Amino acid sequence: MKTFLVVALLLCIPLLVVSQRQTQRKIFPYSYSIDDLPNGLRLVTVPTDQKNLVALYIVVSTGSRNEIEQGRSGYAHLFEHLMFRGSEHYTPEERDQILKRAGASDNAYTTDDRTVFHEVFSKEDLDSVMRLEADRFQHLKYDQSAYKTETLAVLGEFNKNSSNPFEKLFEVLRETAFKKHTYSHTTMGFLRDVEDMPNQYDYSLQFFNRYYRPEYVTITIVGDVTRQQALDLTKKYFGDWQRGNYVPDIPVEPAQSESRTAHVDWPSPTLPLVAVAFHGPAYSDEQIDKAALDLLAPIAFGENSDLYQRLVLREQKVDFVSPSFDDRMNPELFTVFARVKKPEDVDYVRDQILETFKRFSTELITQKKLDETRSRLRYSTALSLNSNEAIADNLAPYIALRRTPETINKLFDLYDRVTPEDIRAMAQKYFREQSRTIVTLNYKPATGGQTQQ
Amino acid sequence: MKTATVAFLMFALSLSGIAQTSRRTRTPAARGTRQAIQMVLQPSQSPLVSFRILFNTGSASDPQGKEGVAALTAAMLAQGGSRALTYDQIVTAMYPMATSFDSQIDKEMTVFSGTTHMDNLSNYYQLIQQMLLDPGFREDDFTRLKTDAINFLKVNLRENNDEELGKEELYNMIYANHPYGHQNVGRLSTLDALTLDDVREFYRNNYTQANLVVGLAGNYPANFPQKIRADFMKLPAGKANSVKILQPKLEPGMHIEIVERETRSTAISLGFPISVTRRDPDWPALAIVASYFGEHRSSNSYLYQRLREARGLNYGDYSYIEYFPRGMFQFQPDPNLGRQQQIFQIWIRPVPPNQGMFALRAALYEYNKLVRDGMSQEAFEVTQQYLMKHVNILTQTQDATLGYALDSRYYGIPNFNDYMRQRLSRLTLADVNRAIRKYLKSDDMRIVLITRDGETLRNAIVNNTSSPITYNAPKPQAILDEDKIIQDYRINVRPENVKVVAVDQVFQ
Repeated sequence: MKTFLVVALLLCIPLLVVSQRQTQRKIFPYSYSIDDLPNGLRLVTVPTDQKNLVALYIVVSTGSRNEIEQGRSGYAHLFEHLMFRGSEHYTPEERDQILKRAGASDNAYTTDDRTVFHEVFSKEDLDSVMRLEADRFQHLKYDQSAYKTETLAVLGEFNKNSSNPFEKLFEVLRETAFKKHTYSHTTMGFLRDVEDMPNQYDYSLQFFNRYYRPEYVTITIVGDVTRQQALDLTKKYFGDWQRGNYVPDIPVEPAQSESRTAHVDWPSPTLPLVAVAFHGPAYSDEQIDKAALDLLAPIAFGENSDLYQRLVLREQKVDFVSPSFDDRMNPELFTVFARVKKPEDVDYVRDQILETFKRFSTELITQKKLDETRSRLRYSTALSLNSNEAIADNLAPYIALRRTPETINKLFDLYDRVTPEDIRAMAQKYFREQSRTIVTLNYKPATGGQTQQ
Repeated sequence: MKTATVAFLMFALSLSGIAQTSRRTRTPAARGTRQAIQMVLQPSQSPLVSFRILFNTGSASDPQGKEGVAALTAAMLAQGGSRALTYDQIVTAMYPMATSFDSQIDKEMTVFSGTTHMDNLSNYYQLIQQMLLDPGFREDDFTRLKTDAINFLKVNLRENNDEELGKEELYNMIYANHPYGHQNVGRLSTLDALTLDDVREFYRNNYTQANLVVGLAGNYPANFPQKIRADFMKLPAGKANSVKILQPKLEPGMHIEIVERETRSTAISLGFPISVTRRDPDWPALAIVASYFGEHRSSNSYLYQRLREARGLNYGDYSYIEYFPRGMFQFQPDPNLGRQQQIFQIWIRPVPPNQGMFALRAALYEYNKLVRDGMSQEAFEVTQQYLMKHVNILTQTQDATLGYALDSRYYGIPNFNDYMRQRLSRLTLADVNRAIRKYLKSDDMRIVLITRDGETLRNAIVNNTSSPITYNAPKPQAILDEDKIIQDYRINVRPENVKVVAVDQVFQ
């Protein structure tokens, strides 16, 4: 008995120390302020001690999820591009010159739920960059010709991605698993819709009018800045922005009633790919469902999982296996992707993944593994907050979801409350055969195409 | 555009290696000669501690016929077990710390890097020093990592990423019959035959005190560098890798390689060797030129404006004076890719195949215009101002600052940010235009195109077939006038110097 206790203490103490140290501080360690303007625009300011640089992230809570009309996939992303095509007071060339003189790194990206415009630059240029940004958000101006040219750049982006078979696998997975909800298309959109974009100038104006409104936008400023500075500039340049009134009617995905499969024939040599997905929950910092499955994902399918160690390290049948389960506004797929070394092993690998889903629906994970995973999530977050830009970049998804950094702290409080029983219960709830979709991809020369069942 | 696919896409490009257990026979010299371990220390108040453990060796040190052994050795150390722990035990130990230990291999540098929270410094360091100093070199790790290396070349590069394929093949073309002449991961003709003994031997000869520089940053204990120094004295003393890498001797004239594969677009990379590295006083002037002409992933540069913004040809167009792998996944370059030789490179992102000829001509037209006309005073001033501020963004993380410090040590220049600001501020337009004429004028351009139907493109090139372009929207007259010049712009290449190569011949 005594020996057992000693061993137990030896095993547990280091974890307790970690856990105590980690829980004493909030996972998002920076002080921040939130200011709401009467027009619905929100400002989040995060002063840091990294001198000189400022990261400005303008987060629009609009993404490919908002593309509700048939034939209009890809417009949130197209709009990200159009925002660089000039505004009332600045031509694109003038805009480039101002940002160039600021030494800025500037770009933008789009996902299912958000479009993020971001710049990092020297603090003395904050005023001029805010003025510039305010102009394009309120007074974007692009003509038919610029519009059509930009649609070609979007097609160029599609083309550059197209040599990667994973892009196709992902597209078919989405289309197969979602029948109503807009997550059925990728952010890039269907090729047919991208090719039709040049003809849809008027629709693009409508898209801007709907979504580039203050109630959809949160300005996030991180770095060598004070709250007052940030607020004064926001009021000065964004204060007159008119609130909109459009609320999209995002279709609800009906419960899947039977399992689905699809297969992609890929026209050039590649290794086979497998995706196994189940409909999971949406992001929440209050309900335990998503948090429980977040913790399960690395335990069941991560680099340290039994599955990974068997398939990748010991049997060496796959060279990649990984879970993907992003935080989304609406219910998202919990997916496991794998790349298989030999075509004849695809069924085996698929079955091993399925077995693993089943295993965690019945087995309880150990408290030790759960504590280690919580520790991993905490340290992983701490390690990622290593510059003003990185802090803003990490905040952006949460800002799009809940418009406050506090949601990260709430999420990690949830993680601390999750028990092994919760995880098993959520696995039982979500990993059910009728809500499953499996997609495979394999090399098939000559006439390529995709078949679905 | 970021999506959940990023992790997978990154994987599709990630390197791997191979590993194996060694009996750990140390050369007698290891204990005999006491040699100070070189260190670059950057203490700070950050709770994160960053390591960059750099060996001045790389794929240029691959023995002939053993191409790939340098990369495989690095992979065995970073993705294989130590003698004390198997790789899965290492992964398990790192799991609660959320740490990793990564390797990056280039021609002359191999760097192992990782960052840990200071809470876990002692445990993390214990793991990584075992991995580097006491490797397991197990057969199963070796098999796995060798297969990964082969698949990296055969599948990830050849078949899944036309842009990176084009860029890597351009280097192979320029450096044929040169120590830089194979992809860093090796050759498909040599990888299969590599053995664990090859790895052991490479480790013994190259992982020496003389080749080592340890970079450390963060709030580490005061005596920590001393402990590292003592531990790394276990490595053999060795001799510093002092091979002088010469500029490649190219056959005169333009050479074009068309790599044929089934793909929906045409990727283009072009370039030629330059004799300038960061070590050279003219490097800051050329940095201004490369940034003005084609700043990486930025809309503020000339080529991007002419090809993408004005014409909608593709997603982007950039230029470089240093090797910049994995460019489609990152905005800033990785440090520790120091080389004695570099190339000037233009990267034209994929275009529709029917515009391949036009895009190639446009790139050559703009390049020749740059060499002929140089930069304007206004373009010079704004780019100078840009770079003087932008250096702070390049080094905004502790890890990047440390990486740049190691590179500055390699090139023999002071702190990168101070050096660049100081040098850039002294430059004049005349300096920059002189550098363009001196270094960027070349008749020996090398060009790689990745496309389907290679023979058709070849015929168009050797016959200088006109390649008019049409648009889906009205264009300013100035663009249309310029297009008329570009559509018939002469590609000055001899027919025998235009080759069509099947993709399965690349990386052999």
